Amino acid sequence: MSPSRRFGTSLASQLLRTPLPPSTTRTAFGRHCYHSYDHPPAVAVSYGSTEQAILSAAYTHVPQHGFSQRALALGAEDAGYPTISASVLPDGAFSLIRYHLVTRREELSGKTKTIFGEKNLGAQQLSTAARVEQLTWERLLGNKDVVHRWQEALAIMAQPSYMPSSLKELSLLADDIWFLAGDTSVDPSWYTKRASLATIYASSELFMTTDKSEGFFETRDFLRRRLEEVKQMGSVVGSVSQWLGFTANAGINVLRNKGLRI
Amino acid sequence: MVPRLPVRDLTSRMLPTSSRRQLSTSSKTNAATTETRSTQHPPPGKRKPLTKEQRDFLSSALRVNQAGELAATLIYTAQTPVVVARHPHLRPLMKHMYDQEAGHLDTFNALIAKHRVRPTALYPLWQVLATGLGWGTALMGREAAMACTEAVETEIGDHYNEQIRTLLEMVAEWEADGYEVGPELRDLISTLRRIRDEELEHLDHAVEHDAQKAEPHWLLTGVIRAGCRGAIWVSEKV
Repeated sequence: MSPSRRFGTSLASQLLRTPLPPSTTRTAFGRHCYHSYDHPPAVAVSYGSTEQAILSAAYTHVPQHGFSQRALALGAEDAGYPTISASVLPDGAFSLIRYHLVTRREELSGKTKTIFGEKNLGAQQLSTAARVEQLTWERLLGNKDVVHRWQEALAIMAQPSYMPSSLKELSLLADDIWFLAGDTSVDPSWYTKRASLATIYASSELFMTTDKSEGFFETRDFLRRRLEEVKQMGSVVGSVSQWLGFTANAGINVLRNKGLRI
Repeated sequence: MVPRLPVRDLTSRMLPTSSRRQLSTSSKTNAATTETRSTQHPPPGKRKPLTKEQRDFLSSALRVNQAGELAATLIYTAQTPVVVARHPHLRPLMKHMYDQEAGHLDTFNALIAKHRVRPTALYPLWQVLATGLGWGTALMGREAAMACTEAVETEIGDHYNEQIRTLLEMVAEWEADGYEVGPELRDLISTLRRIRDEELEHLDHAVEHDAQKAEPHWLLTGVIRAGCRGAIWVSEKV
């Protein structure tokens, strides 16, 4: 047996031994579940060391080779593993896409301090809506280096077997952005806020793939307009429900004044 | 050897065998590692990460508590004008009970936001049902309104007691293994205790104010208690 082959088999067994949980278990663990500050989970939501090495090396080849097996193979080589070892990754090219989604999302919490840090020291505090816009924009900029490859990635993400995993990542992103923006709503708007932000993010991301403007300023405007629309929509719904509540209350009080014991 | 995750163990663990859930800090799958751990104590000040089951338990506990306190504030809001119109002397009592419930709701709202727990998806449904329950019992008279409070607070008291018991077991197991328990959980336990005591105080107030003279008392409290248990069961999940 040649040394490289022996190395290959030991690598394969090593990869197989390090638990590579299917995508669902990894993300489901952190999904809208009690987030402890005193007793944080032992393993952060990230990758095993071998997987991490291959994926991060492969990621640098994405701008040139796209989210593909080729990029994975080159990454495995760079990381010092045989080219074939990339095929041990469970979802092939999609694992590279998910790596992009997860790492870019996890970067946001670190960036929050640099984005809002200086501004918070000043007297003016940004509103939650402004923070949401800022964070969403920051996340969109995370796609900057791979934006010419992103349509291919979207096509892979839309495949039925990867769809649930992609949507889960999208919902985690929306949840993270609202949390980092300091939103504390715990009524049904919790759901509508996340759903509308996820929709806006996905459409802005698609818009960005065809945006040729300087610094993607057209995408930024697109994002701003969509968020503004949702805000107006929300205030209309709020006003209507407030009016309905007031009218119903007033009606009951009139009846009570008439002597009805209700 | 690679410990394979026995799915059967997990599911049997997740399905409550009794009405109260046992949340072990160590699952059977890593029994081997816990054995070595118990012989050599962890360094002082080390905190054990929460397991998946414990996080699930805490999420559903906070979610159901928020839903419960929301319902309680709405029940009192709906009852107050009707009851007070007929019995003005009950105004301070109703206000006192409402104020405490509003305080509890604020507490759980803050906890849910802090710990990033999803609020219940049936929020609007609980709003409608609770308002209807409060208004309906108030229309039936002072005794019925108090019987409603009696039934609700009995169920809620039991429910909080179960949660406190589960949390204390969890903490006791950590301490037995030599781990430290963070202030977050200690505060949660003391908050739950305080709120439980206040709920049981409402129960006493209700009984003092002729809750048991409602006609038919057994039917009214039976229906409301069954409804509460159903709502708690659903809110823990959805």
